[in-house]
Amino acid sequence: MTTSEITREEIQAVYPKAAKIMADALGCDVEQVRLDASLIEDLGAESIDFLDFVFGLERAFKVKIPRGKIMEDARGDLPEAEFEEKGHLTERGLQRLRAYLSEVPADRFRSPMRVADIPKLFTPETFCKLVARGLRATKADA
Amino acid sequence: MPDRGSAFTFVDRITDLEAGRRARGRFAIPARLSGFSSCLVAEAVGQLACWVAMSEVGFRRRPVAALSEETRILGDAAPGEILDLGVEIESCSEEAVVFGGWARVAGKPVLELHRCVGPMLDLEEFDAPEAMRADLATLRGAGTPPSRFAGVTAPDLSVTDRVPAQRLRATLQVPDSAPFFGDHFPRRPVFPGSLLLEAQIRLAVQLATEALPPDRALRPARVADVKMRAFILPGQAVELETGVQAATDAAAELTFAATVSGKRVATGRMEIVSRGPA
Repeated sequence: MTTSEITREEIQAVYPKAAKIMADALGCDVEQVRLDASLIEDLGAESIDFLDFVFGLERAFKVKIPRGKIMEDARGDLPEAEFEEKGHLTERGLQRLRAYLSEVPADRFRSPMRVADIPKLFTPETFCKLVARGLRATKADA
Repeated sequence: MPDRGSAFTFVDRITDLEAGRRARGRFAIPARLSGFSSCLVAEAVGQLACWVAMSEVGFRRRPVAALSEETRILGDAAPGEILDLGVEIESCSEEAVVFGGWARVAGKPVLELHRCVGPMLDLEEFDAPEAMRADLATLRGAGTPPSRFAGVTAPDLSVTDRVPAQRLRATLQVPDSAPFFGDHFPRRPVFPGSLLLEAQIRLAVQLATEALPPDRALRPARVADVKMRAFILPGQAVELETGVQAATDAAAELTFAATVSGKRVATGRMEIVSRGPA
């Protein structure tokens, strides 16, 4: 996993433009798109908004962000059966998710945690990190 | 379900299909219709992409209309003509399909779709997966019999607020029942996004006639940044709004939005252009 390797500077470099894209998608003021806001609980985002973010961020930053990337990256090399069981994260799965979503305050993680509730954890920083990773990949390919 | 596969189906043969990648198809527009709108042409391209996506994920999921970066309306398709359809899939997973596509009539482009994103939902909620598989087999073989599509009665639009050449608001009353609900979708009737766009275009053209020089025939040329946020259900009243953002002698740029019970269900932008003297 490369989550912890994304630096504060990389996040700050993409945040202003990314926040504008997220604000446009949500129909809210850009000031409301704080890095640590819960997109669903604080800003009323729905699943379609997450697709819209990815769509807009890919276009604006010229990066590829595969759909389902957050879950896939969070799971890493852990087999799916060891990541989740009957719709809930396993203990190891939860550890992986906490590590991957390191920007999310610890008190927002529940145990047991339903897989369907994972998007409630997403913050603008989660998406900034996806962009930063995409930019790294683009540079590496160049 | 007598309307299934006929009341709102706009692909009658798939001539080429590469799973998860691309497809070509066609639709013979019934000659008896009085017209065939650009929104229905776009619907036809979207339906072809839907077949590619469903076959890619083993008919467990199906896409629904959600995001579209740009639709370019390049010409008209008339009753009696054959629509040639093509789609290219950029990516397809159990979560979403991203695609572009086009429609041509006699080799001439009439419409292009650029970067559309459809979230994939459980197919069983909408239709019977086995029936859909069988439909695809028919489409990939000899095709379906000539379409029984009989046209769509445009829902009433009642203007509720008007600032000349600037803004127009109207209420669109979705009918409680209509043949297209039997096809869109058999297990879960939803007002088609393409029909919502058709209503938004009607309203935008009405407003653009006030913003552009008089005595010009107008047509939609481009619909961009469309976002469908929620399903619109039978019987719902949809508040439509459109506003002029910029206008020259030849074209007007407008934004549009649709809300149901105060909740925003669709947004986008469009360009209405002058065809020349009416």
